[in-house]
Amino acid sequence: MKTRMSDIPRKCLYLGILAFALLLPWLPLGGSSNYLLRILTTATLYMVLALGLNIVPGFNGLLDLGYVGFYGIGAYTAGLLTLHYNVSFWIIVPLAALNGAIWGILLGAPTLRLTGDYFAIVTFGFSELVVLVIRNELWLTRGPMGLPGIAPPSVFGHPLTQDWEYFYLIIFLLLIVLFVVTRLEDSRIGRAWYSIREDEIAAQCSGVNLIQYKVTAFAISAAIGGAGGAFYANWFKFIHPDMFKFWESILILCLIVFGGLGSIVGTMLGALALIPLTELLRVVLPQNLFSGRYLIYGVVLVLMMRLRPDGLLPFVRFQQNKARRAQKRLAPTGNGE
Amino acid sequence: MENLLGMSSLFLQQLVNGLTLGGVYALIAVGYTMVYGVIELINFAHGEIYMLGAFLAYTMVTVFGIPFFAAIPLTIMICACFGILLDFIAYRPLRRAPRLAALITAIGMSIFLQNLALLIWGGQIRSYPRAVLPKAFFQNAFVVGDITMTWLQIFILAVTVVFMFILHLIIHRTQVGTAMRAISQDKVTSALMGISVNRVISFTFAIGSAMGAMAGILVGLYYNAIFPYMGYNAGIKAFAAAVLGGIGSVPGAMLGGGVLGIAEVFGAGYLASEYRDGISYAVMILVILFKPSGLIGKPILEKV
Amino acid sequence: MKKVLYFLLVFGMAIGTGWAADTVKIPVASPFTGQLASFGEGVKNAALLKAEEVNAAGGINGKKVEILLEDELCDPKEAATVATKLANNKEISIVIGHLCSSATLAALPIYRDAKLPAISPASTNVNICKMSPFYFRNVYKDDFQGTFLARYIDRVKGYKKVAVFYEVNDYSMGLMGAFMKEAVKLGIQILGTEAYTAETTDFKPQLTKFKMMKPDAIFIPGYAPQGTLIISQAASLGMKVGVFGADGLDDAIMLENPDAEGLFVTTPFLPDQAGPAAAGFIKAYTKKYGVEPNWFAANTYDAVGMAVAAIKAVGQDRVKIQQWLLSINTKENAYEGVTGKTYFDENGDCLKDAYIKVVKDGKWVGAEKQMM
Repeated sequence: MKTRMSDIPRKCLYLGILAFALLLPWLPLGGSSNYLLRILTTATLYMVLALGLNIVPGFNGLLDLGYVGFYGIGAYTAGLLTLHYNVSFWIIVPLAALNGAIWGILLGAPTLRLTGDYFAIVTFGFSELVVLVIRNELWLTRGPMGLPGIAPPSVFGHPLTQDWEYFYLIIFLLLIVLFVVTRLEDSRIGRAWYSIREDEIAAQCSGVNLIQYKVTAFAISAAIGGAGGAFYANWFKFIHPDMFKFWESILILCLIVFGGLGSIVGTMLGALALIPLTELLRVVLPQNLFSGRYLIYGVVLVLMMRLRPDGLLPFVRFQQNKARRAQKRLAPTGNGE
Repeated sequence: MENLLGMSSLFLQQLVNGLTLGGVYALIAVGYTMVYGVIELINFAHGEIYMLGAFLAYTMVTVFGIPFFAAIPLTIMICACFGILLDFIAYRPLRRAPRLAALITAIGMSIFLQNLALLIWGGQIRSYPRAVLPKAFFQNAFVVGDITMTWLQIFILAVTVVFMFILHLIIHRTQVGTAMRAISQDKVTSALMGISVNRVISFTFAIGSAMGAMAGILVGLYYNAIFPYMGYNAGIKAFAAAVLGGIGSVPGAMLGGGVLGIAEVFGAGYLASEYRDGISYAVMILVILFKPSGLIGKPILEKV
Repeated sequence: MKKVLYFLLVFGMAIGTGWAADTVKIPVASPFTGQLASFGEGVKNAALLKAEEVNAAGGINGKKVEILLEDELCDPKEAATVATKLANNKEISIVIGHLCSSATLAALPIYRDAKLPAISPASTNVNICKMSPFYFRNVYKDDFQGTFLARYIDRVKGYKKVAVFYEVNDYSMGLMGAFMKEAVKLGIQILGTEAYTAETTDFKPQLTKFKMMKPDAIFIPGYAPQGTLIISQAASLGMKVGVFGADGLDDAIMLENPDAEGLFVTTPFLPDQAGPAAAGFIKAYTKKYGVEPNWFAANTYDAVGMAVAAIKAVGQDRVKIQQWLLSINTKENAYEGVTGKTYFDENGDCLKDAYIKVVKDGKWVGAEKQMM
């Protein structure tokens, strides 16, 4: 892995993007700069979330429709700890990630033996249950009243207020997650995951403990979701059960498939393309054509999948017969093959 | 004694409510499960066909003045053609693509159709004008003690049963039905045996969409609410019902719809109404945990 | 990389070109698409109607009013983005929105930091106006309506046993809380409460439960789309009880529902006794859009009216507009619109009179007995 030819230009590209991101708030854009920063902060947050989700369907080949449940758990963990105990943001993020991971293990351990879409629908049911609990347990979450007035995070005693400060914060979070995910990808665990994705039975025969590796993947994915939720709560300073509806899971899934399932750079590119798209359409389309915004959004999804069914930057790790890989990607148990 | 009577009539009334709801779920779920059976695609846009069914019948009745019972077959035919078109435009080019690409296409189509409906019909909630509907729909078919059942409820249950029966005949007694079952077993071998796979898939979409359109009309009638996003929630529930029954299996979808409808109604009626959906999802999760391939689904064989 | 630059360029250009100041821009932020688009419909229609009327009467000091429709789907994320966009546009001096409390609360810190006043025509969450001196609302507070309804059914209707069917949202639960508190004080028996969510279309299980309790009346502190279904489904179960609600049920779809006969709701103005302004509004709105205005529409119409009045009085200065809005704080200098006299308390919550109106022969009419 170390001698991959593309490594050096890739690193340069990463550094270039990072430098550009750090410079971005200081470009002379006048009044629109905060608007732009807000959109890019949202896009970066979704990059983090997408990188987390990618571990399960991308690396392991399991369809997860309940990712937003962990995101919501993280956000409420952070929101409640900030409001009631005024815990520092830097302690909250790991705690929220830990809470996400715990629920990931609790959900994953009994359900990860399920195959294909049965697993998907159980994760969906789980995320709906999370939202229902948030909505109905008023004593804990204030339910539909939401949690307003969450204190902003502070860095060395300085509370963050400016849009660029949050942008830097989420870039920092992204870098950490990116580091974790790329290291995982190249590790023993990552290789075990790929083997599970490509052929579960072959992996098992080669000594991969399926449940153990799948639960690990699910827990790490949930932890990243939880951390993303923690940032979200402290950035928005207000959380509400409606923010964690099923649609969010679908959206994040769209990002990773749009960008290239399993590919880290592709996943990030997917978020960077799709999240600002709705705002771009808002600015470009004429005022009275607001229903055109999501109309076009839908068409973009359909066209993109038609033109590049493997996503913007397809995952290329094994030089295999493309069609075979495509067939096997989400049917690890060989459904009728 | 009176208390006991009250309790049993409450139970029976809830059962009637649950069966009606379950019948509606089953009608939508069949569309999901059939498409899934042949091409293993979760057709997210199916809920939108259901919505279009409700809207088309509404437009025919209000704008063109077509009698209600003539609008039903017309709508079903249009929606069946629409299902074929949907497959042709969106899914056929992706037959060899990764499964998730087709899923995202389905989501894209779903968003597109919702907003198209919003553009055409606006966001206002609409309902079938009562003047065009048979009066009997809103009269009680029978009242026993505290239990009431309207003719509309009976109509819904009857239509569900008749449609399911027709579907059963199509799948098990016709050539195209046999072809559908063959494709769901093995697409490649079916093609080698001389089955025109794409044509059979088109037919599946047509049948599934016809059922969806009928469900849309019935729900529009029963709940008096037609709006561009009605397909979304109903679609999710119906999909859950399809999986609960064992995805790919038509009797499974019926059973799943029934179980989900009854679980939901009894959950709301006897347990906590604020956890209504939660109860049905919890039932679903438990069933899947103990029967990992749904109620009547075939266990997926692992082959090396 | 190129993509990012391109995005930047398009954004910059598109925003830059919109900056020609010959109109007074008033943004209206609401869900115009998405699951709750039906709520935004009235908001959109009323805002456009009001602007049309203001422009026909010569605009604001010679400048035309331009309504900017900002769609946010009731999604807090989009609401916050829209809020940032508006807050950074120097041309914007007041915002009308948002509709859902969750969207309003997400946008609130952004408007507060930018000192941009905003009037919500529909968000009823108790925290909103307390949390920001720049947030106003032209909608009843929940506790006021709930208390009012409890007293009304006690004194005028004489109901003794009531069941409450609420939606799990802050509007409905706030109303229910205030109603039950007052009802208990007045000796009205609450037989039971049941919940539903906005996605629900089937209410029979809960209604069947109510039916067995034999209440005098059902209180529905929710919104009209679900309210009309509840009323129809109760009728199909053979329930013959009184039904009442708050401003959320005040919608023309009730008039198309034959089972809604006898439904009564709170309203800030009575249609049959309304002044010429309200009568004219109802007529113009119905003529233009083919449906009668609901409470979202009426509140938005007045919110836009207040924004126009503010700009007329003090110009397009954000803080001056906020001060002007805070200064209308008594019945005497109240803003007179189609929803009656509106004035604000020190938080920015509006204070209005309340009346009861009833559905009679498919029309809203004032109840025979009002409570003063």
